[in-house]
Amino acid sequence: MKTFSLYVPRDSLIHRINPIDKILYTITAIAVPLILPSMAASFLCMLISLSLLAAARVVRQSLPVFAFVFLILCTVVLIQGWFYPGNQTPLFGVEPFVFHAEGLMKACRIGIRVTNVVAAFLLLVLTTKPADLVEELVRRGLSPRIGYVLDSIFQILPQMMNTTRTILDAQRSRGLETEGSLWVRVKAFLPLIVPVVMSSLIHAKERALALEVRGLHFEGQRTWLREKRTYPYSREIRGGLLLVLTASIVWRILG
Amino acid sequence: MSRVVVKDVCFSYRSGEEVLKGITLDFDEKSTAIIGQNGAGKTTFVKLLKGLLKPTRGEIYILGRSANEMTAAALAPFIGLVFQNPNDQIFRSTVLEEVMFGPLNIGEDPKGARKKAEEALEMVGLTEKASENPHDLRLSEKKLVCVASIVAMEPEILILDEPTIAQDHAGMAAIRQVIRRFKEQGKLVMGILHDMDFAAENFERVVVFHQGTVVADDDPREVFSRESLLQRAGLEVPHITRLGWSLGRKETFLTEAELIQSLRGEGSTDR
Repeated sequence: MKTFSLYVPRDSLIHRINPIDKILYTITAIAVPLILPSMAASFLCMLISLSLLAAARVVRQSLPVFAFVFLILCTVVLIQGWFYPGNQTPLFGVEPFVFHAEGLMKACRIGIRVTNVVAAFLLLVLTTKPADLVEELVRRGLSPRIGYVLDSIFQILPQMMNTTRTILDAQRSRGLETEGSLWVRVKAFLPLIVPVVMSSLIHAKERALALEVRGLHFEGQRTWLREKRTYPYSREIRGGLLLVLTASIVWRILG
Repeated sequence: MSRVVVKDVCFSYRSGEEVLKGITLDFDEKSTAIIGQNGAGKTTFVKLLKGLLKPTRGEIYILGRSANEMTAAALAPFIGLVFQNPNDQIFRSTVLEEVMFGPLNIGEDPKGARKKAEEALEMVGLTEKASENPHDLRLSEKKLVCVASIVAMEPEILILDEPTIAQDHAGMAAIRQVIRRFKEQGKLVMGILHDMDFAAENFERVVVFHQGTVVADDDPREVFSRESLLQRAGLEVPHITRLGWSLGRKETFLTEAELIQSLRGEGSTDR
């Protein structure tokens, strides 16, 4: 079944790690630079996240996301470089657009942090099947109903996109122009949105009935469709992450 | 005269996975049933004819116009495609307005559109439901509303995608009626069908799709007599044909009337 996710199937160690451990990594990789404000800590975290992405062999898939992020970071460099309140040392440029050392440092720090956060998230998103993550969460006590809701989000989105495409085709078949000037597009809105909303309501009703028939609200012991997977190095990873977190907190308090 | 010319058309949704592999067909006004397994490429093929998809290779001409260069909306006055699922298009609050939507889009004035919509509704037998909300109708009726909404545009070519699915007896009769009217007006009707009985009974030509190619293209009696070919394409012969064969007949019967006549004829010679 087609699902809405960025998951890239690969056979790497990172892919085989427990999804929850990956979430913990993401949290740690974001938390450490917050606890330790030094640039070195942020830079180290970013390097680790990026090299893990490389180890998972998903660098190519992460490039479009990074490209988008860098576009935004460019504006940060301009704004901070020119207008950072602590700007004192002019470097280059023409008044009033003079880049200052302090602003550029600030922009650099923001850039590294953002890259780190994005890389840590991508590591989770690109190497984890949403279904695996949800299953692992449900095994750890998340309500199966919420698990279902999470799961279905990934499936309903592509389904809605498909329906929307069919609706677009159906209305174009009846002579509806959907491309062109703003007015043409405004006129096309109603014939497209009404069937989209109506059919998702109909789908929702049918889905609810089908789920009820298959016992979504069943009270009692449930069994699993799939055997419990064992993930490697779970204990080591959690221990390591906990250690890093504690160490950075201790460092912050002492230092 | 050729209404639709398809020259060596290939299509793939994703590169490397060809859904259609070099289709060359020519359609005159003979009503045509397109049959084939799911995934054989039938719906993709008619979407190409309708201009909703553009071929990756090859050319399509609709009434002499190159479909490759026209949008689906621009092709709408010439070729109409009725979609399978009525919920994908219904958006007005009355049946009449829903059916008038198409004619209005292709430049008909409100009065003319209303007239055409009323005629189309009459053809499918929904005149009495004209002022109801289409979402309150039964599924079979909703499907007929969709047929009417295309018929009202008076296209030269009408394509029905699975018209018989979820259709009741009255609905089937209405669809037969539409096909007959189009035939009488000398217009081309094409239907994608899984219902072999319906195909045998109502169409003058049958094209069999299998894995993106055309494996048979002939009149129904010829196609439905080739059981092994149909089996290879994952299809069945019509029930009435099978019944005839089971009764020891060599000919291929396409309608109940034909078989009954043959049986009667034999009965009288026995006496």
